[in-house]
Amino acid sequence: MRAYRALARTSAKNALTYRTSFALGLFGVGFQLVALLAVWRVLLEDGSAVNGFTWPQMRGYLLVAFASGALVGLLADFRMSFRIHSGLVALDLVKPVRYQEARFAEALGAVWIEALVVLGVVGVTVAVSGPLPLPEGGELALFITSVVLLVPLKFLVVYLASLASFWTQNYIGVQWARVAIVNLFSGALVPLAYLPGWLATVATWSPFAGMTSTPGLILIGRVDGSQAALLVAAQLGWVVLLWYGAKLLWRGALRRLTVNGG
Amino acid sequence: MLRVIRLYFRFLGLHLRALLEYQSDFWVMAVATVLMQVVNLVFLSAVFAKVPALNGWSFWAVVAMFAMMAIAEGVGSFFFEGTWRLSIAINEGTLDYALVRPYPVVLQVTSMEVGINGLTNIVTGGAMLVVALSRVDVAWSALTVLLAVVLLLGAVFIKVAINLATNSISFWLSGPSPMFAMAVHQVGELARFPLSIYPLALKATLGFVVPFAFISTFPISFLMDAGSTPWLGLLTPLVAVYCVAVALVVFSRGLRRYESAGN
Repeated sequence: MRAYRALARTSAKNALTYRTSFALGLFGVGFQLVALLAVWRVLLEDGSAVNGFTWPQMRGYLLVAFASGALVGLLADFRMSFRIHSGLVALDLVKPVRYQEARFAEALGAVWIEALVVLGVVGVTVAVSGPLPLPEGGELALFITSVVLLVPLKFLVVYLASLASFWTQNYIGVQWARVAIVNLFSGALVPLAYLPGWLATVATWSPFAGMTSTPGLILIGRVDGSQAALLVAAQLGWVVLLWYGAKLLWRGALRRLTVNGG
Repeated sequence: MLRVIRLYFRFLGLHLRALLEYQSDFWVMAVATVLMQVVNLVFLSAVFAKVPALNGWSFWAVVAMFAMMAIAEGVGSFFFEGTWRLSIAINEGTLDYALVRPYPVVLQVTSMEVGINGLTNIVTGGAMLVVALSRVDVAWSALTVLLAVVLLLGAVFIKVAINLATNSISFWLSGPSPMFAMAVHQVGELARFPLSIYPLALKATLGFVVPFAFISTFPISFLMDAGSTPWLGLLTPLVAVYCVAVALVVFSRGLRRYESAGN
């Protein structure tokens, strides 16, 4: 356990030392938030509701989308791909820690800094455009659970995409594809209710829904009670499934690894 | 001049051949960029299925703006990707090689690499633009076709010039990665949407300080004769000339500061 704590600390220090690249990693999601807020403000600010979403609801939803984009940021996944690509991963393999757990510890290490950034952005948005709707009681608990589950879920999706580096040299393309798919299927670009019925159903039960749609809809009160609990349960199920799936994939990936020289 | 252009394409050809050696890489990149455009289209059509217009702009008008940005970025990647390698070349001192060859330094830099994602962006962006322009209300004549081509060229050169100018800042910042240019590029992504949806500060930034709006909103607004100031689109070629001039000045000023990295 001590080894993993040390890794987490190092990763936090890394983020604090390379502040500019860290901030830049958040830039892209930040501007996506600005653009989407501007689009929906134009459509909803006059008090109308489109597809049942009001302006305060959409604002809260988009902030969840931003949080999901900002947490467990890009910094870590490019580093992992780079280490696989360059063969430096051999050094990770000789360390007496489990690979997946070690990467997760690194992701957790920097998560509190990202969470602070998210809170800052939420604060500014609330100050500029008014308060957010907040759920109460059981729904609030479910919302918090869902946001907490978002961290391992996003880590696993990014981690699985990074493992693709064992098969293809081109990790940038894989990450772009990952961002595109997650943006659509998680509801980060547009709430799933706007998609055509069949696509919305597929997306709702895909692992990606837990990365924006589930916490977002619970926050703004679009789902509640047993429906909300079911969505969070699905989210938890995907976390468990992907965690062990990633372990299986890692075993296969290791067999593909060739590191030249020393 | 002809020799310069011919050599430029030979440089690109060399890199292209090197790239095509890695065929699976090419396909990963191609699929990823097409996927990104498809997601954009699904997003736009999902929104516009529920609302008729965004600040007066129809679905196809916004698709045309997204397409203009995709084409401009695509040309930037495919023909001028080397621009993004300038900072590492300065940081490691490899720009020395360019200085001793009898060919314009700035063109050697921009041809240092080929971004294969540019090709798919040009193709998908081009298809989106053609379909979108055929669906919106444009009074086509020989003159408007000519103007459309001029505006498109202007838009492309504005994007390329902004890339070059912002990357040339690396001569002063000297870090190994083009942070500043990447940040400005992210700001530019905002300009895919019609400028009128943004608050005043962003309008001023995108329309004036870094004229990204001349890549998308203004040319499309002129062609469709829509929006509050359609005539602004006619300024696109002028803005392009201005941007290219500024970029070249910034680059040559920066180059004068360049002092290798020792060996």
